Amino acid sequence: MDRDKILQAIRENKAKTTPLPKFFGSLAEKQDTGLINRFKDILQQVGGDCFEINGAEELNSFMEEHFPGATDFRKKETWKEFPPDCPKEKLAQLKTVVLGGQFGVAENGAVWLDETRFPNRLVPFIAEELVVCLNAKEIVCDMHEAYSKSGKNTTGFGVFISGPSKTADIEQNLVFGAHGAKKIVIVLY
Amino acid sequence: MTGHAHKAGQFLKNSERAAWHDETLWIVRRKRDKMARAVPEWESLREQASQIKQHTLSELDNYLVQFDGQAQKNGAQVHWAGDAARFNEIVSGIIKKNNATKVVKSKSMLTEECGLNPFLEKQGIEVTDTDLGERIIQFRKEPPSHIVMPAIHLKKEEIGELFHEKLHTEEGNFDPTYLTAAARLHLRQKFLEAEVAITGVNFAVAETGAVVVCTNEGNADMGVHAAPVQIHCVGIEKMIPRMDDLGVFIRLLARSATGQPITTYTSHYMGPKPGGQMHIVIVDNGRSEHLGKENYRNALKCIRCGACMNTCPVYRRSGGHSYGSVIPGPIGSILAPHSHIKNYNDLPFASSLCGSCSDVCPVKIDIHDQLYRWRQDLSEKKRVSPGKRHTMKMAGKILAGSKMYDFSGKMARWGIKNLPRKLVYNRLNVWGKERELPEVPKESFKQWYKRTRQGKGGENGQG
Repeated sequence: MDRDKILQAIRENKAKTTPLPKFFGSLAEKQDTGLINRFKDILQQVGGDCFEINGAEELNSFMEEHFPGATDFRKKETWKEFPPDCPKEKLAQLKTVVLGGQFGVAENGAVWLDETRFPNRLVPFIAEELVVCLNAKEIVCDMHEAYSKSGKNTTGFGVFISGPSKTADIEQNLVFGAHGAKKIVIVLY
Repeated sequence: MTGHAHKAGQFLKNSERAAWHDETLWIVRRKRDKMARAVPEWESLREQASQIKQHTLSELDNYLVQFDGQAQKNGAQVHWAGDAARFNEIVSGIIKKNNATKVVKSKSMLTEECGLNPFLEKQGIEVTDTDLGERIIQFRKEPPSHIVMPAIHLKKEEIGELFHEKLHTEEGNFDPTYLTAAARLHLRQKFLEAEVAITGVNFAVAETGAVVVCTNEGNADMGVHAAPVQIHCVGIEKMIPRMDDLGVFIRLLARSATGQPITTYTSHYMGPKPGGQMHIVIVDNGRSEHLGKENYRNALKCIRCGACMNTCPVYRRSGGHSYGSVIPGPIGSILAPHSHIKNYNDLPFASSLCGSCSDVCPVKIDIHDQLYRWRQDLSEKKRVSPGKRHTMKMAGKILAGSKMYDFSGKMARWGIKNLPRKLVYNRLNVWGKERELPEVPKESFKQWYKRTRQGKGGENGQG
């Protein structure tokens, strides 16, 4: 009822059709080393930490050394321990969580994660600390490139995360850890 | 009459706080400038965003239908609300159907506009605003004073006292880190208890039926993913055609709003969680009517970044509450009179028409032109105060005839110099309320010109 009324009113009131502009292409030049450095710079500016290691071979030993007790959702057995219907009270106990990131965005230090990366959508938000492993080759220049990668995604949920959860609602003082992760670490391999 | 000018006067009484407010927002504006300048294609991005919105509004019915179909295909339930009353009923209906009484809500100006919180509270439903700034003003039973920084009018000492009373934090501890940690604990409990989560929407994508929500705190996601039922409230003007178009708007939004390259979280909700419900409520509430006003249609492009507020010399020096409308500042001053012309007929005058709002607007809304247009429309409709109307009429007559103008100038020069101060700074002299009138020259420009230049030609020899 309301639907028809609203649509009818729009039809009567809308302006003459103007064309939809064609896609806004990514203007920046692609330079692999440039992208990684830019990503790291911006990530630092938004409060995130970054490690860069030499290739995938070193990743496992690096992770074991630096994040020994972490809950690693790159491993299938962790999914069994935290199934999709896992009670949220249990998720609320999560301290350091490791996720496999899909790609990063150089212009804003964000990483894309969709729900193929965690069994429950709360995981990336409820953990105290978030560690995202990211293949350094998977860094795109800007959001135009980012959406051409993630845009046709058909999962029910996906998110760009750039830095730790933050707020400046008290007198514009920046504080990390408003509701989500207090700390975010990106491990580039 | 408690119009903008009066309430701005109240705000300015605390000159120290007013100066702080002004400076703080100016810092945010400068951060925005820095970000905008770091993107070489900034101006073409703005143009692109403006054109996408222009096109979407011209095909809005089709995009809404497409969005509706896609969202349902994704497993969401889509509801349509013609006005605020219908919207409130739909949301409370969903809550009641799920036998829920505990609701968390992330920031949504639309729910403010429709008065959702008081409506739900009357029915015994507990609504907790989860954005830190919003929680603060909810405790204080105040409306937001800024759409992005809702508690920007408050000092940390006031928040410390408030939290001491409400959350039992230490008395006299005003440290923002300490207070934020206390709010985190308090709201974490609310997230875990909530049965329904409500969010606003930044963008709704017709192509995929996705709704996109941007936050820095992560409060929208904590709510949505913890509660079994999620409700997204979206105004019809939030539609965009394609996922690729998101790239343009996401690049513009946070840079314009707070000078960040992107918000911490940019969440794309496409379908319900396993075993959960996802509802989308599409709301008109006057927007389709606004769409028919050719001169003001552009205002519907707004993506609610708040950049026009941060840059506005009037907003910065009068505070968001002085506007009395849900959305304050320049964009609020052109939106509010569409819904309640009588209540907000003074807002288009709460501007210096400097045009800075239009310069920073990421979707290129002609904000200051619309403010100027409103003034003319309101005058024609006799919707401005009689004092202003008669003064303008008189000024019009004086400025139209050169004899009248010369005579009035002479009178004014004589009057300001010779009349008693009390008479010059009378109640009608609004200009002289907070400042001194300029010193009076001995003669007018015309007299000076006649005396010194007539017949001699200008210094550069022109006649």
